[in-house]
Formats: sequence, structure tokens, C-alpha cells
Amino acid sequence: MAWWRLQSHSGQVRRKPGIRAIRDNSVESGIPAWFSRRALLRAAVFDTRGQDLWAQRPTIATSVATGVIEGVREDAIAVHSGQATEFFGVSPSTVTWLGARVSPTALRTGDPVVIRYRRQDAAPKQRLAERIWARAGRVTGAILKVDGSEFLVDAGRRDKTPQRVVLAPASSRQIQVRFPRLAPGYLLDVIGTRHGDHLLAVSPATAQPPYHAGHSPRPPLTAGHVTVPISGSAVWHEPDDEPPGLLGLAYPAIDPETAAQPAHGGTGCVRLPYLSLGSTVRIRNECTDRTAVLPVTSDGAMAREFCDRCVMCGTSPKGRIADLTMAAFVELGGNLEDGCFNATLTTMTG
Amino acid sequence: MSGVSFLAVVREVQVPLIAVLLIGGCAAKARQAFGTHHESGPTAMFPPRLRRPAVIALCATELMLGVALLATADRAGAGVPAFAVRAATALLFGTAAAALNELRTRKPDTGCGCFGDLSRTPVSWRVIARAALLCAAAVASIDVAPLSMPDSSRQAWLTLAAAAAELAVLAALSPEIGQVMTRLSHAEPCELREVPVGRTLSTLYASAAWRRCQRFLVATAPIDVWREGCWRFAVFPGVLASRRVDVVFAVHLTGRGAPVRVGMLDTGTAFATSWNASFPNPLQIYNRV
Repeated sequence: MAWWRLQSHSGQVRRKPGIRAIRDNSVESGIPAWFSRRALLRAAVFDTRGQDLWAQRPTIATSVATGVIEGVREDAIAVHSGQATEFFGVSPSTVTWLGARVSPTALRTGDPVVIRYRRQDAAPKQRLAERIWARAGRVTGAILKVDGSEFLVDAGRRDKTPQRVVLAPASSRQIQVRFPRLAPGYLLDVIGTRHGDHLLAVSPATAQPPYHAGHSPRPPLTAGHVTVPISGSAVWHEPDDEPPGLLGLAYPAIDPETAAQPAHGGTGCVRLPYLSLGSTVRIRNECTDRTAVLPVTSDGAMAREFCDRCVMCGTSPKGRIADLTMAAFVELGGNLEDGCFNATLTTMTG
Repeated sequence: MSGVSFLAVVREVQVPLIAVLLIGGCAAKARQAFGTHHESGPTAMFPPRLRRPAVIALCATELMLGVALLATADRAGAGVPAFAVRAATALLFGTAAAALNELRTRKPDTGCGCFGDLSRTPVSWRVIARAALLCAAAVASIDVAPLSMPDSSRQAWLTLAAAAAELAVLAALSPEIGQVMTRLSHAEPCELREVPVGRTLSTLYASAAWRRCQRFLVATAPIDVWREGCWRFAVFPGVLASRRVDVVFAVHLTGRGAPVRVGMLDTGTAFATSWNASFPNPLQIYNRV
């Protein structure tokens, strides 16, 4: 592919290297071609040299794998990632989560898993699982209906299908302490394990906001441009119609003029610059000091609803600045059962 | 002028002042009543389904009392009607002071909602004191004689001074003044401003970059539009040197005459399908996955 840039009235053009690499990379990382095309078009207008958010290739997973378990042994597990079967070593230090910490032998064939691994120094081709999350799920949204310990929740899915949540009996009290208003109209954010058509909630992901869904406080009026990096809380969401291993994020401030669904505007309780799908942002996990450049892959409508803080390492400022895909969250060093990490976000406008 | 007559002037000022405040408060609440946010003010303590009706009822009550205060201020409304309206006004402000005190205890993060969206600052002692002061002012106005024009210029100046002094006290007790000043001095930075696509395209069509590149375009409707902070990008199909190209314009969102940059991308075979696809609405293809 050639890249041309109009430089004068005479239509002089020049070539720019590296564009092919960006395009090819989009295929590897599972980013829809439509998004990567925007990166190409953006690069056609601006000189992106030295501006990694405009030109850098989006992150490729280096420490996270997703798939379905094909087999479990005491020292290894086999995972089918959709294209091939991959093997990960398991050691006594491997932490396995299946609603709670369990032994790796508790995993069953067919369980969907997210694995954070590291390559062994002695044998770089061998990958050792550090953490395994099996059947991990999360439901974040507005409660539609309550029936005892069962809830229907509008999680903002594209197909409008409500999510069914069942509170695990052992965790019901713990969840009700953090979510005292389990009534229609109020917000719910719980983590648990997937069982067929419902999520068995085992822990609250945050504390319940005192307001109804759609009534999150607005950010204070302050003059001047948005100061970057922007600090806040980064959370994760289950894939809606995204590929399971997608590295990306749902951004809370999608331009309402060009959003797929009519947005009510606003950016939640954080001042975030408006972006579109395909824009890239740099996310840094303040707790693990890991950074990645990620594309905006969906609208973070639910992140706008919450004005909470993350206290994984210190207390973050109020508000969710990114709703990461599971793979991106784990790639950045987050633990799914924690629900969030303290993060900073940098956009190219900063 | 004796102290007693000054006090009489101060009492006379209360009726029009309270009436104006009530009507102003109603006007400010009206937007809140018909909008989606009913989370401020004592009505926030109501069950969610009753909040909106409560805001509307409060707004209507304020409007009726404000108009009734003005209607019963002169000789025509003197007597029982004036007494009833002023007593009801005192009751309203007394109830408001108590409700705000309760709100401060139960929902310390909630604003008083007295002037709708402007009253988002959490309830403080200033706001409760203001309601109590207005209650006292309404009580003081109960047996005031029917209002008439000042007899002398001195009395007129005294009336103005009394009104100004009371307004100053009320302003000192009003956090809304700070909100108004902030809003008047606030200009949303371009990256946070909601800008219609139509305005962006108008800016583009009026730019020198558009005139320069128009001859390469095969359509004047964009096939893709998206935004990156202060820049909005619009892509148009074009032909350059017998090759299909995408002409992409970046328009800065600072308004008319804003900088416009342009670039071209050879579509190549990789994006041939996007060329051949039909685009019924360029804003809807934006989110194709």
C-alpha cells in the first residue's frame, strides 16, 4: 500500500513507511479493520513521527491468553484459543480463580479461561501460568427486576438483552452491604462466575452509587483544557460482540454526534476529551507500572454511570476513565476478581 | 429618619423582594422539573417516582405564591387575602429551612435545588440561614400596610438602600452566585465541547483546503466521520492520477475559520470492499465493526 500526503497545490506526494505494519498488526491484535483504517487515515493527515498515540502499533498481547480448557494435568493445562491448542505450565505458585481461589485441578474441560503467563527464562518457548481465571464474569448495569436473590440487569448490551444475575448464598450478605438498594433503577456491579445463562455473583465490584442509573454527577466546571494524563479508575467488562482476546477499551466519552446509539452526552464525572471508536489512548496501571496503547473499541456507557474510586494502590480520583476488555485488563497487570486498578489515561490531545 | 421608620421601610421591601425571589426560583426550577435530573433539593428524599411530581408541585407553589404576593400587595388585596398569602409564604420558607436541615443530615452531598441546576453545591449552613431569613422576612411582612409609591425622594432612596442591603445579605448566603460567576466566565475547551457534525462540515466547505482538493473528490458527502479531541476527521472518496484515493480532512473544532488539514490515502486492494459498499448514511457506518 502506498501512502501519499498532499503537500502543495501542485499535489506533490511523498511516501511514508510503516503503514503496512500498522495494518498487518490490526489483524494480529483482532482490531476490526474499520478502526485500523482510521489510524491510517489519521496518519495521512498528521505527521505521526514522535507521537506514539497517533502512530504506534496497538499493543499485542504478550502475557495474556484466552480460550477454552481442553485438558488439565497437575503440571499443565491445554487451552484452545479458537485457532490452536496452547499449553501452559502450572506450578504451586499459580493462582487459580473459579469464584474463589481453587486448585488448578478444579478446572474442567470446556471452562472458558483467561490466563496471565510468563515465559520461563531457561526455556523462553515454555509459558508458565501465573494466574488463571475460569468462567470469570461481571455484570455492570441498572437493575430492571428483582426476584429474591435473582436480578435482571440492563448492562447496556448492543442486543438490549438483560443479564441475569443470581447472588451466591454465601456472598449475598457481603454484596448487600456494598449494594444496599437492590431495587429497580439502581446500579449493580458484581463479579462472579458464568453458569449457562446467568452470572453467579460472588463479590461486589464496588460500592453502590446513591443515585439512580442515568443520574451520575457531572464533573465540576473548570476552565482550561483537559490536563493529561487523567487519573481515575480502570475497570473491565465481558466481551459483548467483541472477540474474547481483544485488547481494547470501552471509552466513557464517545463523541455523541457520531455514536452508534444516541448518547445523552457528557462524560460521566470525569472531564475526558471526546473520542471515537478507533482512537488510541495510553493506559498505565499505577499499581503495576505497566503501560499499553489501546484502541477505543466500544462505548463505555456503563463507566459513565459510576463515580467511584479505586483503592487498589492508594485512592484514585473519582470516576472511571476506562472500561477495559478482559484481556487488556489482565495484560496490564490487573486481577479480574479485584474489579479495578488505579490508572492514568493519556490521549493524543494532551 | 428615625429607627422605627427605617424598620417600616425594610418591612415594606420584603413583599416585592420575596415575590421576585419566588418567581425566579420557580423559573430556575422549571428546567429541572422538565429535565431528567431531579436529584437535588429536599425532593431528593422522596421515592424516585415521586421526585418529578414533587419538583413540579414545588415550582407551581412558588409561582402561585409569588404572583399572589404581588397581587395582594396594594389596597385591593389588603386584609385576609394578603395575610393568608404572606402567612403561607412564611410557612413555605419555614418548612424549607427544616427540610434543608434534614437533607443536610441525610444526604450531605446533595444540593438544595432552590434555584434548580444552579443549586448543586451541597447544603450548608448558609443555605439554611437564607431560608430562615426569608421565613423571618415573610413573617415580618404579614401585617405590613398596603404598598404605595414613596412619598419623597428620601424615602425612595431609603427603600432602594434597604432592598440593596437585603439583596447583599442574600447574595452572601447564596452559593448560586458563585455558580453563576463560574458559568459566565467558563468556556468549554474544544475537546469537551459537543459540536454538531453539520457545523464541522460547514467549516470544512468554507476552507481553502476544501477548495484546493475539491477537484479530486467524486462525492461531496463524507463516507466516514470521527473525532479525536479537538479534531474531527471527514473522509471523502476521490481520484488522483487515475487511482482511487481517500481524501481525509481534519477540521479543528474551534469554529468557523478553524485550521483544516488534508491528506490522501491510496485505498489499494485492501479496502476495495469499502469502496464498493453503499453508504446510505455516513454517520451510521461510523461504528461498523
